[in-house]
Amino acid sequence: MFDDIDPRSPTPLYEQIAARVRMSVAAGDLGPGDALPSVRALARDLRVNPATVVQAYRDLAADGFVELRHGQGTFVQEVPTFVREEERAAQATKLVRTLLQDAARLGISVEELARALNVETGVEIRE
Amino acid sequence: MNSAIEMTDVAWRAGGSFEVKDLSLRVPTGSIYGFLGPNGSGKTTTIRMSMGMLKPDRGTIRVLGRDVPRDMPKVLARVGYVPERPHVYPALTVREQVRFHASFFRLWDAGWADELSERLGLDPERRISRMSKGETGKLLMLLALSQRPDLLVLDEPTDGLDPVVRRDVLTALLDYVSETNATVFISSHLVHELERICDWVGVMDDGRLVVELPMQAFKNGIKRIKVADAPAVPEEPPFTILSRERLNGAGSETWIVRGWQDPMRHYFDGAGIGLRDVVDLDLEEGFVELLRSSRPTPPYRS
Repeated sequence: MFDDIDPRSPTPLYEQIAARVRMSVAAGDLGPGDALPSVRALARDLRVNPATVVQAYRDLAADGFVELRHGQGTFVQEVPTFVREEERAAQATKLVRTLLQDAARLGISVEELARALNVETGVEIRE
Repeated sequence: MNSAIEMTDVAWRAGGSFEVKDLSLRVPTGSIYGFLGPNGSGKTTTIRMSMGMLKPDRGTIRVLGRDVPRDMPKVLARVGYVPERPHVYPALTVREQVRFHASFFRLWDAGWADELSERLGLDPERRISRMSKGETGKLLMLLALSQRPDLLVLDEPTDGLDPVVRRDVLTALLDYVSETNATVFISSHLVHELERICDWVGVMDDGRLVVELPMQAFKNGIKRIKVADAPAVPEEPPFTILSRERLNGAGSETWIVRGWQDPMRHYFDGAGIGLRDVVDLDLEEGFVELLRSSRPTPPYRS
């Protein structure tokens, strides 16, 4: 779930960690009651500051994705379908924004991108 | 006590040309503070002053709320220090060195020292004179952690260690911090390593502290931007321009700016400058650009 955490990215590590968890919940890979790794275990696995993991878990709790049970750990909450769909849409938007930015840097037009997307996916995409 | 280390207007001179000037530095309690700077910038000198091993000519130093060097014995009882050069005895074995070191510390955790020794794969019967750099590095971290310090002061603790050992040593450190919320003041040349674990950054250059910021603020505040129609003297930008480089084409330039925030994009409309792109820099690039500009150079580089 956390394989592609990138410390060099301008997105703070706690945001990256929280985003991965939200996406896993949205995709159904994590369900209600599932335990997240302990702060210590995740800090150790990712070799990041434990405070970074704490911050990520706190943000997830504030968003209603997880529950922090004192002394027991962090557990995934029941998340309504519409929230999960919103999360997926938000992630899709983010991917597209990155793609558009990179394309602009290379001088590639939106039409060219659309054509490439059609070819790659074999699906005719139009508005 | 909000600062584990607090240095105020510290000055120190070696007699030669090198000096530390007007150094004010603050390591917040509970932070992992990455201390960066090129060789000879004064990192080790600063660390040695904070450990009471050099007395500043001017200024005050407080560590864990106590006066340094006056209260140094009390401070040292609560600080795990990994110096630049190993302070272990070549003639001793690992077991003997650990026992010797333990005798100085009331809070010494022998159980944890044994566990660390096993986890790090140290042989207790091995003589220190026969140990590799990696093994010595592991031993130094073991000694610093087993005294259960409130503050760890680590001067290049992973310098010259191979990636596997480095990972073991850092994991031991992070485990300890997870458990205790200890403060860590760590210098390293391995910028990407610090980028992962630190939440504060201080950068030294030529005996001065050039910047001290939360990691995220430091990283997000330095950008490379591409502009068109750049005037010779831009009208009071809300950010600091560290450097300018001309590109091909009239008025096209690359700027490195500091103190950037995204709403500052609006400045360019008002100033009649075209903003073409804002590129993120990672810690290493930001660090290099900052040092390049902290030295007296003309504003344009070729």
